[in-house]
Amino acid sequence: MTQLAQYAILLGLTLGAFAFVASLYALARVIGRTLDEPGKDVPASSGTLSRDPVWVRYHAKYFGYALLFLAFDMEMAFMYPWAVVYREEGLVALLDMGVFLAILFLGLLYGWSQGALRRQ
Amino acid sequence: MSIFAILLGLAFGGWLMAALEGWAVHGRFSLVRPLASALALLGREAVVTRKSDRLFFETAPILLLVAGLLAAAVIPLAPGLIVADLATGALFLNAALAYVLVALIMAGWGPDGAYAMIGGWRFLGQFIGYSMLIVMPITAVAMRAQSLSTTQIVTSQAALWNVAYQPLGFALFVVAAMALAWLPPFDLPSGTGDLAGGIEAEYTGPRLAVLRLARMVVVLALAGAVSTFYLGGWLGPWLPGWAWSGGKTLAVAALMLTLGRHIPRMREARFLEFCWKAGVPLALVNIFLVGVIALVVPI
Repeated sequence: MTQLAQYAILLGLTLGAFAFVASLYALARVIGRTLDEPGKDVPASSGTLSRDPVWVRYHAKYFGYALLFLAFDMEMAFMYPWAVVYREEGLVALLDMGVFLAILFLGLLYGWSQGALRRQ
Repeated sequence: MSIFAILLGLAFGGWLMAALEGWAVHGRFSLVRPLASALALLGREAVVTRKSDRLFFETAPILLLVAGLLAAAVIPLAPGLIVADLATGALFLNAALAYVLVALIMAGWGPDGAYAMIGGWRFLGQFIGYSMLIVMPITAVAMRAQSLSTTQIVTSQAALWNVAYQPLGFALFVVAAMALAWLPPFDLPSGTGDLAGGIEAEYTGPRLAVLRLARMVVVLALAGAVSTFYLGGWLGPWLPGWAWSGGKTLAVAALMLTLGRHIPRMREARFLEFCWKAGVPLALVNIFLVGVIALVVPI
């Protein structure tokens, strides 16, 4: 099978999932409809609407981790192609990535020493 | 043909695992119960909260199901018994599972309820912790297999399973997989007794049925990934390949669903600390060790 056909199959799987869910919803609709009664649509908060709005800004208390995560996530983009050719390249590949990872790891240690690895 | 076989296997595995999870939660093993409660969910009212973001609210369960199905699509059950044998299968698995986060934040944001919202944002924090422990062990697996194709990753383990070759990566990957599927003790986004169900709090009826089914598909896809990457997939004596990979996948899923229930729920701050102070350095050590071993030993 060609790669293109495989992606077509994956697209078909996605559409099939949509169709499956739609048929489940249709089945549920056939079994019975939802009655429209007052107070039923209040979110789960002990029967009363919450005093404060929910859609507001929250403090991302893990931002120190999040910044480090960005650096490491970028690094992973380089790691996958490197991992595939690793055995062909041999020791050179180990040294190349070793230096890169060592610098990144020093960054992690520096962040740790500065208190970035802490829920603020 | 193999697509329907795999979808049937997923449905069967999901049913078995739902029965098992019911056993772990309620202490009673019943094979009929998951079917009965699924039918009951379809019969229940589908309430939508007032002022909800309908697009996010409706998309979340479907997106979770699609993410789980696409992740399961690159897991081989036997040679040739795979939905899509991509050359970048392991990377595709990563990409599909990234949408679990999107789906959960949609489920948290959509209904405009405080508990759901907190659950969704908590999962974002959890993601920052576990995601590095998903991708880094997979890198070490790809280094040995010289490929990202899941079938080649299995055949690369013919001499020795990866669980013995890189046990450190195996342990980290299982922990991260449990956090990804928000299984106890990492069930922060849905914490029962804490958030009143969290992201599941506002879902009722058929939408809840789809959400639970999708979560089970994600668990099975992750268990399949563990068996493919570390337990040698279909490799094994006597039995046919699909029996080995299916049995391994179900065993890993059963362990993932039950083991964590004996540990108290982990706070987000503790989890992040564990992941970044212990997990990431250990994952880097794992990559280094595998690199040295792969250069010295030819297997």
